[in-house]
Amino acid sequence: MKILLIAESREGKVLSGTYELVAFAAKMNAESVMFLVGDEGVLPKYDGKLYLADGKTVGEYNPDVHKQLVLDVIAKENPDMVALCHSSYGWDLAPRIAYALKAAQISEVVDVVDGVPVVPVCNSKLRCDVKAKTAKTVVTLQAGAFGLSDEPSGTPTVEKIVVTGGGRVQFTGYEQAASGGVDLGKAQVIVSAGRGIGKPENVAMIAGLAKALGGEYGASRPVVDSEWVEHNRQVGTTGQTVTPKLYIACGISGAIQHLAGMKKSEFIVAINTDKDAPIGDVADVLVVADLKQFVPLLTEKIKSL
Amino acid sequence: MEFTREIYWNVGHGALTLVPMYLLAAIAIGLLVRGALQRIPLYKQGLPLNRTDQMGRRIAIMLENVLLQKKVTRVPWPGLLHGLFFWGFGLLVIGTTLIVIQADFTDLLFNVKFLKGTFYKLFSIVLDLAGLVCIVMLGGLLVRRYFFAPEGLETKKDDAIMHGLMFTILITGFIIEGSRMAVTEMGTPLAMWSPVGLIVANALSGLGQAGLLLLHKLTWWFHLLLVMGFFILIPLTKFRHILTTSSNYFFSDLGPKGKLVNLDLENEESETFGATNIKEMTWKDIFDADACTLCKRCQDRCPAFATGKPLSPMKVVNQLGETAFNNPEANLIEVVGKDVLWSCTTCLACQEICPAAIEHVGKIVELRRSMVLMEGEFPGEEVMTAMEATEVNGNPLGIGYAERGDWAEGLGIKSLADDAEVDVLFFVGCYGSFDKRNIAVAKSFVKLCQAAGVKVGILGKEEKCCGEPMRKMGNEYLYQSLAVENIEQIKAYGVKKIVTTCPHCYNTLAKDYRDLGLETPVEIYTVFLEQLIADGKLKIDATDLSCTYHDSCYLGRHNDIYEAGRNLIAAAGGKLVEMDKNRAEAFCCSAGGGRILAEEKIGERINIVRVKMAAETGASTLVSNCPFCLTMFEDGVKGAGVEESLRPKDIAEILAERIH
Amino acid sequence: MKILVCIKQVPDMESKFKVDAGGTWYAKTDLAWRMNEYDEYAVEQAVQLKEQAKDADLTVLCIGSDQVKETMKKALAMGCDRGAHIADDNASGKEPFEIAGVIAEYAKGKNFDLIFTGMQSQDRGSAQVGVLVAEMLGLPSVSTVVHFAYEGGAVVAKRELEGGIKACVKVQAPVVITCQLGMNTPRYPTLPNIMKAKKKELLSTPVQDLLKVDARQETARMYFPEKKGGGLVLEGDMAEMADKLIKILKEKTAVLA
Repeated sequence: MKILLIAESREGKVLSGTYELVAFAAKMNAESVMFLVGDEGVLPKYDGKLYLADGKTVGEYNPDVHKQLVLDVIAKENPDMVALCHSSYGWDLAPRIAYALKAAQISEVVDVVDGVPVVPVCNSKLRCDVKAKTAKTVVTLQAGAFGLSDEPSGTPTVEKIVVTGGGRVQFTGYEQAASGGVDLGKAQVIVSAGRGIGKPENVAMIAGLAKALGGEYGASRPVVDSEWVEHNRQVGTTGQTVTPKLYIACGISGAIQHLAGMKKSEFIVAINTDKDAPIGDVADVLVVADLKQFVPLLTEKIKSL
Repeated sequence: MEFTREIYWNVGHGALTLVPMYLLAAIAIGLLVRGALQRIPLYKQGLPLNRTDQMGRRIAIMLENVLLQKKVTRVPWPGLLHGLFFWGFGLLVIGTTLIVIQADFTDLLFNVKFLKGTFYKLFSIVLDLAGLVCIVMLGGLLVRRYFFAPEGLETKKDDAIMHGLMFTILITGFIIEGSRMAVTEMGTPLAMWSPVGLIVANALSGLGQAGLLLLHKLTWWFHLLLVMGFFILIPLTKFRHILTTSSNYFFSDLGPKGKLVNLDLENEESETFGATNIKEMTWKDIFDADACTLCKRCQDRCPAFATGKPLSPMKVVNQLGETAFNNPEANLIEVVGKDVLWSCTTCLACQEICPAAIEHVGKIVELRRSMVLMEGEFPGEEVMTAMEATEVNGNPLGIGYAERGDWAEGLGIKSLADDAEVDVLFFVGCYGSFDKRNIAVAKSFVKLCQAAGVKVGILGKEEKCCGEPMRKMGNEYLYQSLAVENIEQIKAYGVKKIVTTCPHCYNTLAKDYRDLGLETPVEIYTVFLEQLIADGKLKIDATDLSCTYHDSCYLGRHNDIYEAGRNLIAAAGGKLVEMDKNRAEAFCCSAGGGRILAEEKIGERINIVRVKMAAETGASTLVSNCPFCLTMFEDGVKGAGVEESLRPKDIAEILAERIH
Repeated sequence: MKILVCIKQVPDMESKFKVDAGGTWYAKTDLAWRMNEYDEYAVEQAVQLKEQAKDADLTVLCIGSDQVKETMKKALAMGCDRGAHIADDNASGKEPFEIAGVIAEYAKGKNFDLIFTGMQSQDRGSAQVGVLVAEMLGLPSVSTVVHFAYEGGAVVAKRELEGGIKACVKVQAPVVITCQLGMNTPRYPTLPNIMKAKKKELLSTPVQDLLKVDARQETARMYFPEKKGGGLVLEGDMAEMADKLIKILKEKTAVLA
């Protein structure tokens, strides 16, 4: 099997999801080639053929043009499968490629069992085995589902590709997230607040536990959307991805988007009244309790150590 | 001697006295009537409302409250002052009327005099004492208002006019009497029957006969003019409360207490719901402002006002009046203020204490209705989320509706879908079904019923929120949708009796649902359990319990149920130490009026204030009878820092621990 | 201006799901239904655009059984002018390509200036339908939009990327926009609008009339994921659990050394 991997870069830097695509190809025992709209000075660590288009000329978001470039590569390489990250770039580009290829698109694959892709549905509460009926398949991979066991390495053989003509969507630049203050990426301990805290006043108890542990506090998306916590403390796909030594998720059910942001933490504790919450899948310890009572109690005990 | 006096002595019996007197009286009364009638079109700006049915009952209520000053004297200082002043003044009015009857009617036409002999002696002394009482009470009221004014008491020009005029009328009355007695009664046995007049007479005796006659005549006419002035001022000043406050008793809401008006949502012609303009409120809402005497008893008891929220029930009532009288086109929401309107917990403390029978709460809900139904506005996003959760899953907590009966697993009771042959339907409510702390209460209640041999059934996943918090927030549409579905379900099972452990569900099913077709009898669990114990079906072991008892607003003021819970505590062996504010004076836990759905963002937290009151009793348990109160108190003991010394518990839990 | 917003009725995610008898989808019993959360933002944005453009007509489309009409009424009450119900008693048996095909067939030739939809559904979550519809109609599309503005024929929008960064784009209408959570605050329908919605046009078209494409994938099996072993579950007395947890943290992490 040959898989075309659609790598990603932003502001010239290769994103880590690219290496998950490589790991996926390895798991599938497949041959792979890679496509990237990026910077020739910052190449992905990959031993294979890389079709590279210049990000500055093409534009990092330019779906019509990126699609055309990919189709050109497909015409040359005739892969059986095209794999993208299930990211804001991937889920935007994949349907366009699938449509042109007359291929099924299977989104957010978390595993492949006996050759059949497995996807999460209903807020990750259930799984589906999905089979393509078409000759070719496009898949998008859930962030973090496929990981490289070793550090990425290698140097690609680069073939530059260009396209004539522009796209209908004009990319006019990035808007950075409101910054300043905390950098969760550097914290060794993070205690996060989820919808289970109930009301904004309870953020204080989460922050209190974080402080007692010498760490920072974060939050899941709904808490940030409700403006109980500022955006730069959001953990998840649209917030920050963190890898602290200790992550304590309080009142967080474990929606995929949040899990994607923290499941690589070294040790994960979840505090939730629901024994079956999806967060339990990644937690090393699940404390079945009402956080509003447990968190202050735990904080007191830690303080008195 | 004859015990009587000459009416019109020194002033003259002839036309020179009578014509101007009657002319002035006619003018004054004419102006009084005109002034009163001019107000009527202002009231009529509001929508019609029938408050003239059951005339007999209305008149009885009016007479009882006005003549006996029942509600006024409920707060003895200064209520008793006003009461005594009122009775004294009433006697003086009766006295004057008797004089008019004799002088201008029985004597004039039939030569019949009755103001003589023993009757006249009694007449004299009663009126003298009445006048004295009036002066002393008025003095007390004046000193209170001008020297020891309680915080928040507004004093205006009106008050000065009223005090001044009343004093002058009373004092000139005694001067007239004194100057007359100084000439006609000194040294007679009659004199002692007018003791105050006698003192005045002695004080004036130095003036000599000519002086006294002149003083008497001038003061008589002056007194007449003042009284005429008083009549004219009635519709123009706070004096109008003599007419408006009295009539407000006549126009009372005959009940059920606190029940909101049902909006007709079937009417496809309706384009507006709720009120933003004074014309969308009723005439009674405008009239209430005229009945208000700014006594501020409502404001003093409002839990929102007490904790720094901008809501003053008195102010809202008066703002509606001001708008009707000065600026009828104004947007009431802007005039009153959104934060003001959202702060109300519908605890009814204002209406309960109001000596003018004003209805504060309905006005606030009507204005909320326009914000919710016409603008889709709520006090916060969390409330909108709760409303949407209720639309999807039939409960504001957003938990899957199919789990609503799961709390009862293993208790040996079934849902009506499985077995509809039950003694009572236990309407559990959202908190009893889904909130961990309150599930314990629901379980306790079931345990008690089983111990008493009562077969209990629940609707389980077929039960929906009763709709009360939504209704009080103003979302009449969502409330009616929920109510109609619940009523259909209840009727379909042929339920004979409903019992609930939530006063909000109780109040809603027992009163509000009647407008939508529910006829099944509804009982609150405290009364239900009390009866089971009295009937000997439920036996409770009394074991010591140091406790205080919180009267929830929706059992207490809304339904006048105060003793059932106390009797249960006694049966349980409770040593009850009452909080200062108990029964009808209980201080709300903050969760009523739909505010259980909202965050409290302004001022001090009401629940913490109440918990501190409970802690002050020294009791170790705070007993309550409502899931909202229990939730607020569990939160409150932490906020007040007393969670080690004061435990909130529901009365059902206490009884369930003591089943024999 | 003609606007189309495509919505889906999904079960409330708080429901306890069970796999249906066929083993390929969730059982429909004991579920509470609601508008797909992402579509709520799409409807709100479409209504705001309609209010801005003044002379605009907004259609809401939904595929499903008669049950979905309840959800369509909410969209109508939020401000859509008319409803296009695609009657399908087996909508959940269709995969994204078929769904997109039905929508594209409906929209063909109607010249919508803007088509809004949520970027994914809360149940299947494939995040494909919006962009597929655009491809089928030959229209440009932008997905994951958190900010939308319309200025004289051009759409100025922001996409939400990972890490909170936004990508700013500009594109000429006609275009398909798929909406991300938090794009706006969906309005609560007012009662007059709820009542008006009852009278708005809601036409049903049988799905067979519009399904002109074949499925490209199928769900072989739906099941609950295995509980991953290794995770320790603590239950019971809170003070004991706290002590146990502290012990574990001391042993397994360097945090409480």
